[in-house]
Amino acid sequence: MIPTRSVVTLLLVLQIVSTGYLWTVSGIGTLSEARFAVFLAVNLLSFSIVAYVYTHDKWGETIPRGWILVGALALALLLLSSLYFS
Amino acid sequence: MMLYYVPSPTDAFSSTEYVFQSVYYGRFLQTVHLYTAYAMIMLAFMHMMRGYFVSVYKKPREMMWVVGMVMGFVTLGFGFTGYLLPWTVVSKSATDVGIGIIDALPGTISSFLTFLIVGAGGDATELLRFYDLHVVVLPAVLLVLLTVKMYMLEAHGVAEPTTGPPIGQRASRSLPIFPDVTIYLLGLAAMFGSAMLLVSAIFPLSLPPMYSPQLAAQFTAQPDWYFLWIYQILKISAFEGAGLPVALGLVTLLFVALFALPFIDRGHSRRIAERPIFVTIGLIFIAELFILAYWGLESPGQVIATDEAAMILGAVALIVGTSSFAIYTVLEPRSPPKPNSEKVTKTQGRFATALAFVLLLSGGAIAIGASLNAIVRVVLYGTSASSLIQLGLSTGFLVIVAYSTVFFMYRMELAGASLKRRSDWLEIGWSTNDSH
Repeated sequence: MIPTRSVVTLLLVLQIVSTGYLWTVSGIGTLSEARFAVFLAVNLLSFSIVAYVYTHDKWGETIPRGWILVGALALALLLLSSLYFS
Repeated sequence: MMLYYVPSPTDAFSSTEYVFQSVYYGRFLQTVHLYTAYAMIMLAFMHMMRGYFVSVYKKPREMMWVVGMVMGFVTLGFGFTGYLLPWTVVSKSATDVGIGIIDALPGTISSFLTFLIVGAGGDATELLRFYDLHVVVLPAVLLVLLTVKMYMLEAHGVAEPTTGPPIGQRASRSLPIFPDVTIYLLGLAAMFGSAMLLVSAIFPLSLPPMYSPQLAAQFTAQPDWYFLWIYQILKISAFEGAGLPVALGLVTLLFVALFALPFIDRGHSRRIAERPIFVTIGLIFIAELFILAYWGLESPGQVIATDEAAMILGAVALIVGTSSFAIYTVLEPRSPPKPNSEKVTKTQGRFATALAFVLLLSGGAIAIGASLNAIVRVVLYGTSASSLIQLGLSTGFLVIVAYSTVFFMYRMELAGASLKRRSDWLEIGWSTNDSH
């Protein structure tokens, strides 16, 4: 069982941390720009999952947990890929 | 980017290079700009084909389709005009190919388009015109068209889904545009954006050398991928020289047919299952487009022999058309079947099924491999008697295997008496007489 609503809190924390990190990345050079792109992608994907949960919750629909898992997996892959660009 | 870019032949490249190398997130922004532009063209094409297959253009939405087609052309215009701006040898050579095609159009159209996009002067006027079109004229036109289309959408509503109950009979609810719909759409946009960012991180853009006539002379000009299919058609030897207006006429005819589609397809049904001819034409169109684009990518600057082009494009049309026809025939709604009465034991049945399955699987693998091998041989080494024979035989074998597969699967379903739709030509020799 995945506590779907609790996932939102984690995602918001992830968004805050990634936003903070984005301010520390240098804007010049292929590698640092790639790192910037990956963490911005993490930020956006987190937002899209939060939006997905919010809309489904508000409309009284069951939140498909499979999609939450797919999103979490994509986030994990993005975070792992950031190691490649470090 | 507009803060740094200078639209003049002497400064365009250096200002782009400066953005790449010295401006914070400059390369990143250029890369994302390029990939999202590509995505926009691809998504516009997918949107058009989806609309074609479920015929969203039918009454009362005919003009929505026409406006959408104009928007598609504006999108291609964005690609064409934006490609020149970095003033690299790749972009300038590709644009010259495009302008060369425009020159071959009939007099008045050619003069008007040349005046519009090139102007009276040389490179400087051309670059300035392209820049103005890219950042001012086309965005304004797209905005107007988008407004018109949104107005039409408000007036007519979205097209009814082709499956399930009509919209009026569905459980409906009203959602406020803010925050519900806005957040939903922002979530989708964020997901798309994150995918684009990831692609940009993996494949960062690098700038080709600056354009110079000397460098361009050593370079094989090739348009960007979304124009490759037209370019490949123009490279067919029959359309070289005096034949060029014929090729351009054919391409124009295709676009006119797409524009006028709502007035050509006057059938009432919008269901894919009930529009075999239009769906088959659409599938052949997509397959030919991809084959032409890929072929163009693999054969830059090469003139294509007419018989070779006819053979490859004909084979693609034959395979896609036959497959589509076979699928439609199998799925054609018919009366429920009578139960099978052929006397076979369970073991015999299982053995025959396994044998047929293995044979078809092996035959299919060999036929697909041989057909691909023949197509690659023709593309790489040109036509020869042996390659054409191989192509003909392998394609024929593939069609037979495809038919046999459909036949086999159909007969299995028929034997199980579970078919709801039936086809005469797949029931040859089938006995429905219970007495024997």
